[in-house]
Amino acid sequence: MYKVLLCLRYLQTRWLAMICIVSVMLGVATLIVVNSVMNGFSTKLRDRLHGLLSDIVIEAYDYDGFLDPKAKMARIMADPYLAKNIESMAPTLEIFAMLQYAYHDVPFTRSIRLIGIDPKSRAEVGGFSEFLTQPDRKAKPSFDLSPDAKARQAKNHVMDRKPTYFQELPTDPAAPPPPEPPPSKPHEPHGLIIGHAIAHFRDRTAGSEGQVKDIRALEPGDDVIITTVSGQKLSPVVDRFAVADYFRSEMSEYDSMYVFVPIDHLQKLRTMEDRVTSILVRLKNFDEAPGVVARLKTVLKNEPVEVQTWEQKQGALLAAIRVEKGILNILLFMIIGVAGFGILAIFTMIVAEKTRDIGILKALGASRFGVMQIFLGYGLLLGLVGCLLGTAMGLAITHNINEIESFIGGLTGQELFPRDIYYFDKIPTDVHPMGVLFVNIGAVLIAVAFSLLPAFRAASLNPVRALRYE
Amino acid sequence: MNDLVDVPAATTGQPLVGESVQPDTTSVPIKPVLRVNGLKKAYRKHTLSVPVLHGVNLNVDPGEFVSIVGQSGSGKSTLLHLIGLLDANDSGSIEFEGRRIDNLPTSQRDKIRNEAFGFVFQFYHLLPELTALENVLLPLMIGKGPFGWLVSRGRAVTRAKELLERVGLGHRIDHKPRELSGGEMQRTALARALITKPRLLLADEPTGNLDDESGADVIRLLRTLNREEGLTILMVTHNLEITKDTDRLVRLSKGLVVDEELHPAA
Ligand SMILES: Nc1ncnc2c1ncn2[C@@H]1O[C@H](COP(=O)(O)OP(=O)(O)OP(=O)(O)O)[C@@H](O)[C@H]1O
Ligand SMILES: [Mg+2]
Repeated sequence: MYKVLLCLRYLQTRWLAMICIVSVMLGVATLIVVNSVMNGFSTKLRDRLHGLLSDIVIEAYDYDGFLDPKAKMARIMADPYLAKNIESMAPTLEIFAMLQYAYHDVPFTRSIRLIGIDPKSRAEVGGFSEFLTQPDRKAKPSFDLSPDAKARQAKNHVMDRKPTYFQELPTDPAAPPPPEPPPSKPHEPHGLIIGHAIAHFRDRTAGSEGQVKDIRALEPGDDVIITTVSGQKLSPVVDRFAVADYFRSEMSEYDSMYVFVPIDHLQKLRTMEDRVTSILVRLKNFDEAPGVVARLKTVLKNEPVEVQTWEQKQGALLAAIRVEKGILNILLFMIIGVAGFGILAIFTMIVAEKTRDIGILKALGASRFGVMQIFLGYGLLLGLVGCLLGTAMGLAITHNINEIESFIGGLTGQELFPRDIYYFDKIPTDVHPMGVLFVNIGAVLIAVAFSLLPAFRAASLNPVRALRYE
Repeated sequence: MNDLVDVPAATTGQPLVGESVQPDTTSVPIKPVLRVNGLKKAYRKHTLSVPVLHGVNLNVDPGEFVSIVGQSGSGKSTLLHLIGLLDANDSGSIEFEGRRIDNLPTSQRDKIRNEAFGFVFQFYHLLPELTALENVLLPLMIGKGPFGWLVSRGRAVTRAKELLERVGLGHRIDHKPRELSGGEMQRTALARALITKPRLLLADEPTGNLDDESGADVIRLLRTLNREEGLTILMVTHNLEITKDTDRLVRLSKGLVVDEELHPAA
């Protein structure tokens, strides 16, 4: 009992102990905040990737693709297990391409990934229609131009019509009437959906308050020229499209690369009718993915395709995130290690200061182990209090991280979280209760471990030496 | 208030420390309660050996009040520490209530210190973080586990208050040591030494840091406890004046008992 009493009294009366508590607290708070933000980023990134990639991808080995996706999908749905687990499928045709457009008469060229889809089936797989920017297109995705876009398209091509000055030329009445020009219907380009970052410039000078303004380079209805290669011959093919909508997933890699066009038109353009490069599969429950992948592999055994979950497809990126998080955690635990050395130093001081008390306790019959327990208990108490405060502080900071970021940003004039890099408009956070618990346990263990040595020294003090003089 | 101190166990045939003690079939009090035989002690530092006690023989009878005097450095404190099991002797033996105690394992030595001995030191040695009351309760807290303590807490607190009352500090129980005078601290220390109803009180210059008057207070208290309750006391002192009040005077010189002097009048 005296152990608890003394622990508490030492805690109340030693301001040095407060330093230990503060150092543990700061370590724990930092770990919680950093982990929550890292988790937030990786969860959000995973969500985005998962959404964009669908659950499982059946992919051809090369750009040549494979034939007759309908038959393959029918074969897949014939399997009862697969039929039970698969929610929907979408064939896509993917190819690298070059995109050109003129902005204020200056030509711009970008390399892109051209993706041919059927908007309806692609929307069912997910990760597509919710990223479109026009509200009615979100509900019913299509490549059709809106009336406004059509008007702009028509205005842009007013010169394509038959020039009016032809009529104004004086005509020779004697001459035979000129032959009627062939009835020309202006070429109606197909609509396309273009990645937001391809169609916009970022104006960094505009942001005085750290905001970035997007300048639109391509309005709906504007023309773009796409150059890609045809099927086996790989000869260049060109077509003109009109912008129908933008694709804004807030994943800069996708928003700056992806351009969607109707799959049947792309097949025609590339002279590879009825061929696709992949089939996206959405499951009813992603937990079933391993089983479904295995079954798909047997069903499509002799086809030139590869079956992968989205995680396998993005393996390198996800592994990099994991490694990064692991290393960061090791580094951060070193912070608590430093706090541990603080405890060691301060405890050694307290033991030296308490030499006489330890002698008294022993003279009154306290055992070695009892004396040791006082200081171990003291370390435990410091660790616990530090953890408690640190957890509270960490959670509070995590909760208000965006306010804190903008406050510090306003104070220093330096944007801490450049939104144009990450595309997230807020710093994402995700608190894992198990992670918080793990940090706490680790910190308490470190506090106790570093109080072991001073506690042991206290326990082995010779009481006579402590008692002899004042 | 006669029950504040146990009648020495040996005189009533009660078991000694704990239950694991030799059965004492005789009802005759063990005489002497403390027997020190040829006790030797040298302090060693590297190869240098400083002999302090050269073979001390000393017997203390139950209920006796013995004072030890001697020059500074003659080994009085060393002797008291050895008897109190705070240090280890080189040779010789210490018997308490008929049982050899100087070679017991640590846990039993801890237990004897806690239950059978009471200590009073020259520098009071109270814990500064605890109040007077808590300081007095400390030996009981140490002796009992957390559970035993919670069960017996009420009785212990009552008894501690009684003891503080008895040493004249009933109104100061919530004061920290630094708020007390030297004499008051020493009386608190005395109450702490008595809380476990010790069967031998070891006092090392209990008046050494006090003025004459507070010193006399403390000695009067000891004398009363000894007379009224038969508490056995072994006290080291420099002050020959206060030894007049004790039953016997033992003179220590250069690590040997050189003279004993009975005070039948005391
Ligand atoms: N740890 C130690 N190492 C070496 N020598 C020691 C040690 N402790 C005590 N001594 C020596 O032992 C001798 C006896 O010391 P002790 O304290 O028993 O004397 P004392 O009679 O109590 O003296 P005083 O009256 O001053 O208290 C002294 O000469 C002291 O220097
Ligand atoms: Mg001394």
